[in-house]
Amino acid sequence: MAAILISATTRSRRLAAAVSLMACAAAAKAQSVDYQGLEQLFGEPVTTSVTGKPQRVADAPANIEIITQDDIRRSGATNIPDVLAFVTGVDVRTYGPGAADVGIRGYNQSANSRLMVLINGRQVYMVDYGRILWASLPVEMDEIRQIEVIKGPNSALYGFNAVGGVINIITYDPTKEKINAASARGGTQDYASGSVVGTAAIGDTAGIRLSAGGFQANNFAPGPLDTVDSRTRERPFTGNFNADGRWHVTPSVDAFMEGSYGTTRLSQPSPEGALFTEQTHQWSLRAGVSADTGLGVFTLSAYQNTTYLRGDAVTQTPPFLFLEHEQQEVAVIEANDLVKIGTDHTLRFALEWRDDSDATDFVHGRLADIDYAAALMWDWQITPEITATNAARIDHAEIRYSGVPTAASGLTVAAFDAVRITEPSLNSGVVWKATGMDTFRLSLARGVRLPTLVEQGIQSDFGTTGPVAVYGKPNLLPAITWNAEIDYDRQIPSIASVLRTALFLQRTDNVIATPFGGPITFGPTGYPITTAANVGYSTAAGMELAIRGHAASGWRWNLSYALAATTDHTSLNTGPAIVSTELYTRSVPEHVVIVGAGFSRDQWEADLMARWQSSFVDTRSILGTPPLRFVVVNNYVTVNARIAYRLTNQVTLALVARQLNSASLVTTAGVPTERRLIASLTARF
Amino acid sequence: MAVVLIVALTHAARAASFAAKDLQVLGRAIAFMQPPPPPDAVVAIAFMAGNADSKRDAEAIAALIGSGLAAGHATLRPRVVDIAGLSAGGFSVVIAAAGANGAQLSAAAKAAKALCVTTEADAVRDGVCAMAITSEPRVEIIVNHAAAAAAGIDFAAAFRMMIREM
Repeated sequence: MAAILISATTRSRRLAAAVSLMACAAAAKAQSVDYQGLEQLFGEPVTTSVTGKPQRVADAPANIEIITQDDIRRSGATNIPDVLAFVTGVDVRTYGPGAADVGIRGYNQSANSRLMVLINGRQVYMVDYGRILWASLPVEMDEIRQIEVIKGPNSALYGFNAVGGVINIITYDPTKEKINAASARGGTQDYASGSVVGTAAIGDTAGIRLSAGGFQANNFAPGPLDTVDSRTRERPFTGNFNADGRWHVTPSVDAFMEGSYGTTRLSQPSPEGALFTEQTHQWSLRAGVSADTGLGVFTLSAYQNTTYLRGDAVTQTPPFLFLEHEQQEVAVIEANDLVKIGTDHTLRFALEWRDDSDATDFVHGRLADIDYAAALMWDWQITPEITATNAARIDHAEIRYSGVPTAASGLTVAAFDAVRITEPSLNSGVVWKATGMDTFRLSLARGVRLPTLVEQGIQSDFGTTGPVAVYGKPNLLPAITWNAEIDYDRQIPSIASVLRTALFLQRTDNVIATPFGGPITFGPTGYPITTAANVGYSTAAGMELAIRGHAASGWRWNLSYALAATTDHTSLNTGPAIVSTELYTRSVPEHVVIVGAGFSRDQWEADLMARWQSSFVDTRSILGTPPLRFVVVNNYVTVNARIAYRLTNQVTLALVARQLNSASLVTTAGVPTERRLIASLTARF
Repeated sequence: MAVVLIVALTHAARAASFAAKDLQVLGRAIAFMQPPPPPDAVVAIAFMAGNADSKRDAEAIAALIGSGLAAGHATLRPRVVDIAGLSAGGFSVVIAAAGANGAQLSAAAKAAKALCVTTEADAVRDGVCAMAITSEPRVEIIVNHAAAAAAGIDFAAAFRMMIREM
């Protein structure tokens, strides 16, 4: 415990030093990105998520989709995964109201660790598995300006986890966009939710936006689930509060500060395929400053995320109920300078320090991953039509362990302290605007996924969480993902549409099997032991075809097809019985078709969206031997509909049906997904 | 009479070297000047004295702006003037009407510390005018860095990274 306190104190001092440094930042002549102004100027959304520099989607050297606030509203979604489910190339596993895992281009499993999610640049992952607890994200749907989805690795900008893709949630700027909204919703599953968003100007140069919201609902009916699973099916809820303040200190210097608190209780599958319920309390605080120093736009920021987690789980055979408590912390200090040199070159230099830690009984102490990173991005406009971008980053990670490993685990403090991982990441892309209508994009990326703290340090002796021992492996190698891609976009003004296509090839080496899904050995008395391990490689290939348009008459439409075929070359599951949940081949649907149409006229707005996906194979923990079984999730269609009527200029009434076509669908190996009907009343003023 | 006026205005709009969308882009782009011009921005529309086509184009552009064109946080107020008249100052942006681009306009814009804007990319490439705007099929902005600097014009860093500079 003393070690925990000392470490926390050191981290706080570093963060305090960073904040002090921000206060001393030099003044100059420009400020951070004005999303609203640039979007209105160029007539399309603007992003900084791909290279760090502001860009239009068509100019970005990576495959990116931007979901606007209009898209979010028309989707009728009450949470972010429900929005993402209708994005080409994105896979969403829904476990219940608010509970989901999201993957991009295959490799989606429970507690997915291949996705980086950020809110205004603040990373919001859970450090245990590197997963995302979506319902705990402190952001209300009404305050989101846009959701940016980057497909493929982008580690050279974001570091570890960004191997499958990146999702950056951008909220409105309280100094420029006065968003005031209140929403109330109710529906089936006893669903009830509400949210309020308010923005206030502070003088002429500052603004603050406050938001709060939450929901509660019944879980989906357990259906044919085993009795033991049902024991942990508690009623889910979430409640979040967020404050976002920004200040134009001078016409050229911006400062910002964000803080949030939230609490969440959700039931969802654990990586070993069993259901569990966890309740969290989480805080975050972020502060930063951005200024043009004459040597570019310099940004310095620091943040800390803290999560207290209590989990109840039932696993393995025979049924075994256990509790877990964790204190997870993420502390980050980052600095970058973005400078345009001459007329054709833009450079971005970045430094980052990060401390991820997890204090939990599972590691019998506190395990921390300290990461130092340096990155460089170079964007070169070779000709008016051709731009080349190269970005490289090097991460150096070390483990700090304070505690006493269990004797049976065979792990030692020295084994943890010896861990040193140094890995480069790479993103290169060429964009060729062949004509005003046609854009080609060629990209190559090397993404790095560092082992997670659970994968490195869990020590669950035989009998602790069931009749199996589960151990991490400190000296795991990072998983390396290479991605090569060619994209072609075409504007089709005759039908007011944009066609977007992509072909990609991907290979992941040193695939990391979680401790629950790794190779099985046997202890001295014959009990089984599963251990995290690097188990081989996996390949993926796929394509995306999407067309989207709208007409002045009020009609809008979209149609897309996505293919993601994955093949495992690992040492797991090679026998007749399935023994590991690490099963990427066919673990997500290979084929997905999305179609949508909508119409706006006068006070009415109506949208219909459908998604068909091919069958895939999931795994789940069962009572019996072997303790896992395959579950084939057959192909299915889900249809969503929304109709809205604007009662006044400020107040809108909407009815939303999710999975309108079926009362219950098997969409994962877990709980069947139920039809949801939701009515909402929203006031914007 | 009204019909005649509408026809005349329509004809003028068709003939103008700037389209209405170009002017919207202009109004939003000048918000990224450092420092930005006042919200009620007077825009000089310069024509070549003695060139009837040039003057007609300037008047057509002014007709598109009307008494005031709101674009973003700015409202453009037109003032049609021949190049020599630019020496009177009182504006921060000067639009080059057809036939006005040349050394005379370039010198006048620099002297007035005003942003010279045209739809002719060649004029920007040659350093005669500082900014070229195209709005179809997509918005493109070209800035001659040296010409802008000579007029004392600077832009926000984020804006500079999204346009083509030469």
